[in-house]
Amino acid sequence: MTMYISATFKELTRKRVFLVTLILTCVFLVLFIVGVRELAGMTGQQPEAPVERLKNSMLLMVLGLLFAQFLAAFFVLFSTMGIVTGEQENGLLLAVAARPLPRWKLYLAKWLGHAVWIALYSAALFSAIVWTIHSISGLPILPEDLLRGFLLFVWMPLLLLTLTMLCSVYLPMLGTGICGALLYGIALFSGLVEGVSSEGQTPPLIEKFVLLIGLLVPTDSIYRRSLFELLGGSDLVGLTQLYMGPFSVPSVPSNAFLVYTAGYMALLLWLGCRAFSRKDL
Amino acid sequence: MTMIDTTELTKTFNGRGGCRGITLTVPEGCIFGLLGPNGAGKSTFVKMLAGLHRPDAGRAALLGLPLGRPEARRKLGYLPELFRYQDWLTPAEVLRFHGQLGGMRPRETRGPAFRSRVRDMLELVGLAEAADRRVGGFSKGMQQRLGLAAALLLDPELIILDEPASALDPVGRHEIRNLLKRLRGQGVTVFLNTHLLEDVQELCDQVAFLYEGELLASGPLHELLGGAGDGRSGGVNWRFRLGGWLPESWANLQEAAGGTLAARLRLLEADERGDALLTAALIDREQAGYLCALFIGSGLTLYESGPAPNSLEDWFLRMAHTRQGGDRP
Repeated sequence: MTMYISATFKELTRKRVFLVTLILTCVFLVLFIVGVRELAGMTGQQPEAPVERLKNSMLLMVLGLLFAQFLAAFFVLFSTMGIVTGEQENGLLLAVAARPLPRWKLYLAKWLGHAVWIALYSAALFSAIVWTIHSISGLPILPEDLLRGFLLFVWMPLLLLTLTMLCSVYLPMLGTGICGALLYGIALFSGLVEGVSSEGQTPPLIEKFVLLIGLLVPTDSIYRRSLFELLGGSDLVGLTQLYMGPFSVPSVPSNAFLVYTAGYMALLLWLGCRAFSRKDL
Repeated sequence: MTMIDTTELTKTFNGRGGCRGITLTVPEGCIFGLLGPNGAGKSTFVKMLAGLHRPDAGRAALLGLPLGRPEARRKLGYLPELFRYQDWLTPAEVLRFHGQLGGMRPRETRGPAFRSRVRDMLELVGLAEAADRRVGGFSKGMQQRLGLAAALLLDPELIILDEPASALDPVGRHEIRNLLKRLRGQGVTVFLNTHLLEDVQELCDQVAFLYEGELLASGPLHELLGGAGDGRSGGVNWRFRLGGWLPESWANLQEAAGGTLAARLRLLEADERGDALLTAALIDREQAGYLCALFIGSGLTLYESGPAPNSLEDWFLRMAHTRQGGDRP
């Protein structure tokens, strides 16, 4: 099962697209560091009050992790949208699936191979963003909050990977990419809508919409819980609602919801294994 | 031991295409050819054997084990028709990956024994020089050779090759033919799905003919070719090349031969120089002798007399045309 970890590593490192991803990620991080230095008043031109500085730091943390989440999601979508049907169409799967490895094991091996590197990429992004904010603007972060936030931040792309892989069993490569991007976009949009509507009374229809999308594609909910944990729980998060609008964290998914996402991911994996085992290649 | 044994094996796509009710046995140690025109269902059948398609109905066993069992697939080498290997890997890395897929531990595939096996395989298929190049830069023929190396890597007892020589040049095809003969000599059973009839004629001990998803004929190649000689009577097809042919010669010969023998004669071609080609579906060789005497007695020159060459291509076309006419041989 672990053979796909090294096989995927070779695929990622030897394809030019990965090099481009790394370069663009570095560009993003450099811009982010420069932006944080400017906004945190570290240039010495505009010294700020501590509360103002805390607000700015939180805003930068939310925006930084939001864009890091984008990057992680795009990395997932572009690296895995052809993982089943794409490889079937170009003939890569034919010789592989004829080997004496049960199909479900092959599916899990492919999932594991991608999950390891996606988790590492997401972890690197998360660490870079959090370290930048913490070291430059001095935002206080407790180690246990950091750990919980980190685990949840990495959980999100893994869930998206599982969903994309399931789509890839049924849809052609391009269809999988479009479907995955749309589902992720809808989840993000529902989170923004919730953020906007939190300023007043949320209409019941929107509440239902947000709930349904949250159940179907819980990526944004996990991201919000990750922020909640990272920012030390309700004390600081409550502050975000006052001035962050759509980027605020109006409601935080419960522990029961996190258990649901774990069960949901296991279900998606099981469905993927089952569908792949029955698929004619 | 029967290497492949199928009973009423069926796979269709929404009730169309694919293959239906294929009952076939492939004995050990032979080269078995699967023939049929495009869309006959050959690839569907092969993919079911390789575990890539799930049969709708029927039973099948590979090496005595039910289809899909890992134990059977461990002894199977398979070269798909339209395949590709990972562009970003070298041939040695591809083979190492396939070694692991075949059940070897990563540590084993890093050991000297497996490295030596990989070298031997690459040498066998003529890729030793390209061992360190990325597969992405390979020609279709080189990919085909690599596919063959991957199929042979784990010492299979049965090899299923789907169009193995389609992308190869004449030299490559010659090498593959020799390789397959060598494998047969080592007791390996080869199941060959190919359009190249000359390969089948030269290599195959047995063949099966699929047409529109149905199995029309199967058995030893020489028996099938012999049986197809005169339709269904079990006689012989004879060919005569004559000189001194005149426009009235055909009527004269018909009258001289008389009765049923005249009905068996066919004029295939005649030209203005007086050359003619005739065939006759005869019961035995004595009838051919009688006809030779008749031609000479009629003032014709007999240039050639002998059994009509019954090529695989003729047989193939005849099988397909017979089926198109709605008649099952």
